[in-house]
Amino acid sequence: MAPIENHRAGKTPRTTAASPVEDNTTKGAERELPVTGLGEETTPEPVAELDGLFVTFRRGGQAVPALRGVDLQIARREILGLVGESGSGKSVLGLALLGLLPVDPSPAVTGRALVCGLDMVRATADERRRLRAQHLGAVFQDPMTSLNPTMRVGRQVAEAAGTESEAIRLLDAVGVPDARRRVDAYPHELSGGLRQRVMIAMAVAGEPSLVVADEPTTALDVTVQAQILELLRHLCDTTSCSFLLITHDLGVAAQVADRVAVLYGGRLAEVGRATDVLESPAHPYSVGLLKSRLTLSARRVGPLPTLPGEPPDPRALPEGCPFGPRCDHHDDACDMALPPLIAAGRHPGVAACIHLGSVATTAELPESWAPAVKSGDAAPMAVRLLGIEKDFVIRHAWRTKDRLHALRGIDLTVAQGESLALVGESGCGKSTLLRVVAGLLEPTGGTVELGHGARPQMVFQDAGASLTPWLKVGELVGDRLRAEGLGRADRAAKVREALALVGLPAEVADAKAAQLSGGQRQRVALARATIVPPEVLLCDEPTSALDVSLAATVLNLLGRIRRQLGMAMIFVTHDLGAARVVADRIAVMYLGRIVEIGPAEQIVTSHTHPYTKALLGAVPAVGVARSPLRGEPASPLHPPSGCPFHPRCPIALESCSSVDVPLVPLGACSVACVRASASAPRPKEVTVASVT
Amino acid sequence: MATAEPYLPPSVGTLRTRVVFKVRRRRRSSAAIGDRVAIGLLVAITMMAFATPLLAPYKPNLIAGDAFARPSMHFLLGTDEVGRDILSRVLFGLRTSWFASLEVIASGVTIGGGIGLVAGTAGGWIDDVLMRITDIFLALPGPILAIAVVAALGPSLQHTLIAVAIVWWPFYSRIVRGEVKALAARPHVEAARLAGAGRVRLALRHLLPGAIPATVVTASLDVGNLVLTLAILSFLGLGAPSPAPELGAMVARGLNYLLQEWWVPIMPGLAVMFLAFVANLAGDGIRDLLGMA
Repeated sequence: MAPIENHRAGKTPRTTAASPVEDNTTKGAERELPVTGLGEETTPEPVAELDGLFVTFRRGGQAVPALRGVDLQIARREILGLVGESGSGKSVLGLALLGLLPVDPSPAVTGRALVCGLDMVRATADERRRLRAQHLGAVFQDPMTSLNPTMRVGRQVAEAAGTESEAIRLLDAVGVPDARRRVDAYPHELSGGLRQRVMIAMAVAGEPSLVVADEPTTALDVTVQAQILELLRHLCDTTSCSFLLITHDLGVAAQVADRVAVLYGGRLAEVGRATDVLESPAHPYSVGLLKSRLTLSARRVGPLPTLPGEPPDPRALPEGCPFGPRCDHHDDACDMALPPLIAAGRHPGVAACIHLGSVATTAELPESWAPAVKSGDAAPMAVRLLGIEKDFVIRHAWRTKDRLHALRGIDLTVAQGESLALVGESGCGKSTLLRVVAGLLEPTGGTVELGHGARPQMVFQDAGASLTPWLKVGELVGDRLRAEGLGRADRAAKVREALALVGLPAEVADAKAAQLSGGQRQRVALARATIVPPEVLLCDEPTSALDVSLAATVLNLLGRIRRQLGMAMIFVTHDLGAARVVADRIAVMYLGRIVEIGPAEQIVTSHTHPYTKALLGAVPAVGVARSPLRGEPASPLHPPSGCPFHPRCPIALESCSSVDVPLVPLGACSVACVRASASAPRPKEVTVASVT
Repeated sequence: MATAEPYLPPSVGTLRTRVVFKVRRRRRSSAAIGDRVAIGLLVAITMMAFATPLLAPYKPNLIAGDAFARPSMHFLLGTDEVGRDILSRVLFGLRTSWFASLEVIASGVTIGGGIGLVAGTAGGWIDDVLMRITDIFLALPGPILAIAVVAALGPSLQHTLIAVAIVWWPFYSRIVRGEVKALAARPHVEAARLAGAGRVRLALRHLLPGAIPATVVTASLDVGNLVLTLAILSFLGLGAPSPAPELGAMVARGLNYLLQEWWVPIMPGLAVMFLAFVANLAGDGIRDLLGMA
């Protein structure tokens, strides 16, 4: 369901009656963002209102309902967080408000989607376009595809804003540094975070009444995500815009939204003030989502609480409560009819559940893991990396080349049975390091020593893409048995065993990857990696492409299998919450170097490196004010001299830009920071003469 | 969606035994009916080509009646300058053209596909060498090569086909190499390599099947092209020698009679057109059905 007018999100220049000449002279002054008092009461009349909205697509002669009777209001100057998993209908809701539902084939729509008094469902294309131009803005997930790659960003923003000077003012307002110069850049010359800021500048141009932001931070790094969320909150507070923030992550919504609406199976499950829903959720689905969220305080000693099952298939929704098949409180009454939204009881909001009173808020925790496998100095090593360097040569036209320094002197030892998490932002080299260990990349320098077991296996980020699409699962999983010289029947038996271990029935062996759901594909990938247990299992962000409710399940599965088969594990993630849960030790990487490494709990609670602190600070959490790290990582083409982190570091000293910092032991951890030993155990950012 | 999850609560235990897979749906539009008709016609032509000896009313070289008989119930497309039945000769000519085209395509796909697969899988200098060889063959002028081959080996259909096949495979080599290269960058190939798949297995099981759709589509769109090329060569006298029923040669010999006995050159000409047209339609149809539009 790609939005049709995607690269401009339905915007036309907002030059209404004024002539272009007048525009140039007056607009800039007129469009000063009004600084309105925060204490002001919000207007009672909502900006947007959904009234019994049904949207049903037809695919292959089958009705596929996306929304099934949604009533929702967005008040003036609020951020409404719309939370739901893939297939819940959240994006369709956003498109309906924008009047951008697909046209060919168009879905059957009943009910109303009012924006500023106009029904975006019934209005003519012309009316909708005019309303979009005046009152709506949109931000989509991938700014690279939403921006026109052939146009300078300044012109694109000016198209929405009216004038060049207004464009510069907007880019300034959304925090694009050096906006006057950046207007001449093409989208590909900007980083992901800056591109998203440009999109936001276009969306808020002319102060629309409502901005629909559909997963605006999903493609961004955690630290940049925190910046963008802060920007949305700031824009909402200082302008008259309302925001609909569509996200799959309750934590993201929690961080900035005033109210939260939880969508499940095309119906609202719960609506309420953000703090209420997050602190005392009423609907079992909200409860489950919150329980299975990976927070920095999640339990580490045993499996995480999970939501069983998978999100419903929109083609085969249950007649009663859509959440019924996954719910602990499910009984026959739930299947009789769709539950209406009723007063939640626990908070002033509403929830759609007939057992609201009896929903348990505290999970009974699953049993603990078996005692951890021996680790530390005593255990023999599974992987030892010495001084690993990896450069990529980037060739340009006319035979000039650049060297991209992906890894710069990595020393690392992983003991047998130990689990290590590599954490860092994109471009820090964590995936490259994983590929070097896997033997998929030759290091430019240094040595990789492996133990004597089977060679490392890997679980990829996109499990679907890692399975050859035209081969059956049985053949894929059995691939590694060919070397063992087993007969066909023996192989089939082994494949069944491996599938059973990851919780898949034997029939899956005859399916192809495209016929499986995301969770099933990830299990197949895991079965393939573990059919002959490797000494080291490498995981490249295996949960980042999965729905929130499935991620915990997959992490539990990894934890169980790793312990059962006695494998060591190297787990790459950008999410410290996940790292803390799966790993015994955490290594934090920045621009090709390990900047801090130590026991997981220590890294989370008593870290020393300012970058670790920044990463932890960016993890979205309920009701915690954030002070996100400024800027984005430097390019690995030209890593900064000295400490790679010094240009962003809040506590950098003059010497940080020139002196190379080695990793030095500090308590249980090792840290590469000159300030670490000086102000141990934990530097406060009280000071400092910064070097800018 | 019910999956056999070991963690399902007891309330949905009944669903455990059932695995519901997502069914991927092929896009079907009204245009697909036209595609099917075209592909049906193609199949019909192929079957006709096999059954030509049974369908043709006369032997192709038999003098069945008077010279220059007009099309009639007796001779549906008339007779030629020596009294042979044009319908029978056209049917045999279609058969020859059709099989010859398929032969050249098959050899092109086999040779080109093999070279492309090796080049795309191996990469490095092997890729470079194979692709430069391909470039050399691409630079050969087809008709002139055909004339040279025929001049050297004597006129015969087989010699013409060899000449055409020599210039025809490089296309397929490029297409297969391109597809394989693109596929090789996809994660599933890296995953297969990590799972210990050898070079041969990687090439044949994890790469080649992915290149098949693009190759089939190209080949099916190419058949019409080839029918015309072979007809032109035959028209220029680069086919089987005289009495053989070849469409191009029949047009060439009949040209003298175009004004009075028009059916002698026109009927085989129309047959060429029809064959190329159906081949192109069916090629489009196959492309649509494979979803590669």
